[in-house]
Amino acid sequence: MSASFDVIVIGGGTNGLVAATVLARRGRRVLLLERGPQVGGEARPMEFAPGFRAAPCSLDPGWLPAAVASALGITLPDFEAGTVSTGVALGGGEFLTLDSAPAAAAGAIRRFDARDAERWPAFAARLRKLAGFMEALYVLPPPDIDTTSPGEVFPLLGLGRKFRALGREDMIELLRVLPMAVQDLADDWFTSAPLRAAIAAAGVQDIRQGPRSAGTSFVLLHHLTGAAPGAVRRSGWWREGPDALVRVLEGAATAAGVTVRTGTAVAGIAVRDDAVCGVVLASGEEIGATAVLSTLDPVRTLRLVDPVWIGPEALHAFGNIKFRGARATVCYGLESDPGIPGSEAVVSMTGNPVALERAFDAAKYGAVSERPHVTVTVPSRRWPGLAPAGQHVLVAHVQCAPYALRNGTWGAATSGALADAATRMIDEAAPGFAARVKHRVTLSPADLEARYGLTEGSVAHGELTLDQVLFMRPVPGYGRYRMPVAGLYLGGAGAHPGPGILGGPAWLAARALLADGKGK
Amino acid sequence: MTSRRYDAIIIGGGHNGLVTAAYLARAGRKTLVLEKRPLVGGAAVTEEVFPGFKFSVFSYVVSLLRPEIIRDLDLPRHGLQILPLESTVTPMENGDYLGSWADPDESRRELRRHSPRDAEAVVLFGRLMQQMAMAVKPILGMLPPDPASLAPSDLAGMLKLGGHMRSLGAERFHALFKLMTMSSSDYLDEWFEFGPLKATKSASGIIGTFLGPRSPGTAYVLLHHYMGEIDGAFRAWGFQKGGTGAISNTIANAARALGAEIRTDAGVERVLVKDGKATGVALESGEEIQAPIVASCLDPRRTFLQLVDEKQLPGDLVEGIKRYKFRGSSGKVNLALDGLPDLTCLPGYGPHLRGAISISPSVDYLERAYDDAKYGEFSRNPYMDIVIPSMIDPGMAPPGKHVMSIFVQYAPYHLNGGWTDAKREAFGDAVVDTLARFAPNIKSRILHRQVLSPFDVERITGLTEGNIFAGELALHQLFFLRPVPQWAKYRTPIRGYWQCGAGTHPGGGIMGASGRMAALEILKGA
Repeated sequence: MSASFDVIVIGGGTNGLVAATVLARRGRRVLLLERGPQVGGEARPMEFAPGFRAAPCSLDPGWLPAAVASALGITLPDFEAGTVSTGVALGGGEFLTLDSAPAAAAGAIRRFDARDAERWPAFAARLRKLAGFMEALYVLPPPDIDTTSPGEVFPLLGLGRKFRALGREDMIELLRVLPMAVQDLADDWFTSAPLRAAIAAAGVQDIRQGPRSAGTSFVLLHHLTGAAPGAVRRSGWWREGPDALVRVLEGAATAAGVTVRTGTAVAGIAVRDDAVCGVVLASGEEIGATAVLSTLDPVRTLRLVDPVWIGPEALHAFGNIKFRGARATVCYGLESDPGIPGSEAVVSMTGNPVALERAFDAAKYGAVSERPHVTVTVPSRRWPGLAPAGQHVLVAHVQCAPYALRNGTWGAATSGALADAATRMIDEAAPGFAARVKHRVTLSPADLEARYGLTEGSVAHGELTLDQVLFMRPVPGYGRYRMPVAGLYLGGAGAHPGPGILGGPAWLAARALLADGKGK
Repeated sequence: MTSRRYDAIIIGGGHNGLVTAAYLARAGRKTLVLEKRPLVGGAAVTEEVFPGFKFSVFSYVVSLLRPEIIRDLDLPRHGLQILPLESTVTPMENGDYLGSWADPDESRRELRRHSPRDAEAVVLFGRLMQQMAMAVKPILGMLPPDPASLAPSDLAGMLKLGGHMRSLGAERFHALFKLMTMSSSDYLDEWFEFGPLKATKSASGIIGTFLGPRSPGTAYVLLHHYMGEIDGAFRAWGFQKGGTGAISNTIANAARALGAEIRTDAGVERVLVKDGKATGVALESGEEIQAPIVASCLDPRRTFLQLVDEKQLPGDLVEGIKRYKFRGSSGKVNLALDGLPDLTCLPGYGPHLRGAISISPSVDYLERAYDDAKYGEFSRNPYMDIVIPSMIDPGMAPPGKHVMSIFVQYAPYHLNGGWTDAKREAFGDAVVDTLARFAPNIKSRILHRQVLSPFDVERITGLTEGNIFAGELALHQLFFLRPVPQWAKYRTPIRGYWQCGAGTHPGGGIMGASGRMAALEILKGA
């Protein structure tokens, strides 16, 4: 055994850096292990063609809760909010662009429907209120039915107060809206098709369900946490570059005294007497620790443990986690800007609610949509350095491209066909796009799995459905960071509050570890 | 124009209205039920549509009728006699079949020949669903507490609910949470591997909904259908002697025996309101009848937007009712037969003909049926739940002949181009053609055919958009949200005007629960 540590953190992405830093600042000797050549994980852009870079996993900047920043003792890098929240294609080069500022958005909507324009500010305000409550929920460990310890009940009372502070109408509205289909929500408020399609698109980010499915309003609100008031979709970027936050986190980790080892893959988590005692690296090296915090997805985490230490019910439950990666990413290197308004934010190519629902049908039968739902962003508008001078990068998220295909497997042919379909959809929305494409690289769910260690290509570490959130995430009974082996904690997106909440799961998992008195 | 005085008037002679009337009469109130059609029952009616052939026109089986109602109203004395459905057979595409029999050992043996693993799992599954049904049962009979209210009764209700959930323990609470949020297909995938089994069980998750087996929220509807009890046994479905109309008549008989009056061919046009208080009703004929209590058994849209002037209601209630979703998706085909169907998978006569035949060969089959409906068409290859009532109750048809009841998903109310006569017949053809694939002799046996689209259901029974549950059983319009927030306790803003139909908690199915709870609330207040 080489020199031992108090806590080993597995995975050097955003969550891993946050967990390690929080623990080190509280006096633990922390080792952070990252299998890749550098920390940062998904936040580091990849060079997909000579001179062209993009980060393929996320289109929006995510939300870093203030409580997490304060626990890290960092100053957040400069953030540019931008003016646009999202946009939607109307076809033939026309777009509806929704500003974050409600009055401006209403102005754009007025072209289609005066009544919709009138109702927009109230809708945006309602969403903000509901997302605001989710934000309060997301900086606490999830309440569960048997929560009794004073340390957990007290903050819940605070949450209860915040719930009541919503006021009677919004309290009920939250309970009513959370299980709804996002299409019903949009249709209840508005009549114009592109507007309803834009809202619905915000509810089907990265999931395998269409907008008429229950729980999609929850997805919209989840991804709206931390967004500007008036927004229906998160937008904005770190001014210095896509990895600006990662560099700050790296600095904080070093300053806190975290030992970081890159190029180091973990092959197993060692257990003795029903408790974690360290890790075994792929090289065979053993490193001791009394606690391990993993930011890998729940199944990858558990796979590192000999099943003999895990009970059959837990194994069965983890085996039932629905990952269902159903999104592919296509990175395009373009010879010029395709001129999509608002594409410094996220723009949906699907301007019609029926087309949006149809795009999700094929996935139910293990097939790729022939007319997929494509959302795009042009990150070179935010950071010109991502492409050579005058040229641009467009990142497209393509749904649905289910990981498990009934006929065939993911390879060059299937990826090529998918990318062709995506190109067609974008070209229909923004004519002339196809002609600008110089390079095109596709990451299928299988590619995302291989490159980023994501089971079934699920960037969320488990599909964000109503039965896999809060105290049910990753599985019922293990929803509060403590895994089936003593001393093992889960602090990645597979734990509450889930994907896109930067450092959220990691910070809460680290606190759970500290509260348990582990890692001393 | 005579206007006699009653203590209470019930609008609508559906089973819930009849239950309300019976309970009010039992408490000594002079009660009058007003039914638009020539017979009571609403969607639970038996009609001799073709001479000699009695159809349970709309709903056709029963299981969810509350035991306390059966007891309180002494329904067996008034004719309630439920004969259990003893089997379900699912014909498979390859000519084989999956059978589920009343005898659990026989069922397990049958399942074992398809999947030994599932044969073991089905026992545990059944046990869990029983536990879940027990967990939910108290909620069925609970007045929904308003979570946003600080009124003592609501707080007490929330505490009671919270206490009940905690008493389940974490494991059962989590299992219940999964059932409330998952799709029936996903839920069943965790238990079973055999396709036709999963599909047949999934199918009970789509009955009366505008959802597919892969839609989140259908696992709840699956549980809703598991909550049936007959003689204390959960999940048993049965058939009333004389058809489901006989159930309505039984309740009507009980109500009359307790002193209630029932008038048919007496459609109500509107509720009379003065100074924010109900004073009686005005019939379509012009006749006015006075009463200080008026309860509407009709669905929420009719109750709030048709029977009263919406200007008398608060704006958010009106908006909420306009948003309340119906989306009828079920059709019905009733056949008069000159003999029995011959199933390819189980040729000839057999006990299986006394049970249900489920056309649900795979989850994909059901999901594709749903896809058709999503985009405004009836299913080309529909899900069908088929029973032959004359096999259990020979009085339903002439000797040697039979009646067949076919419940169908999906037939969307909002059909592209509307439900013309041609479309209705095309739908009937799709149903018969599908059945013919599994029972090729069926066409030659059909003497008469009655096809009902949701449009017909609405036209005949008044159920808005033909939704059989008086409104979708979706999480966002259940419990304290049914039909709208703040008005989920059977009251309305108009004093003396009540809701007693399935558009309130706990929703639809022939339960009678809404009718009973409304009556109890009325008796508390009046």
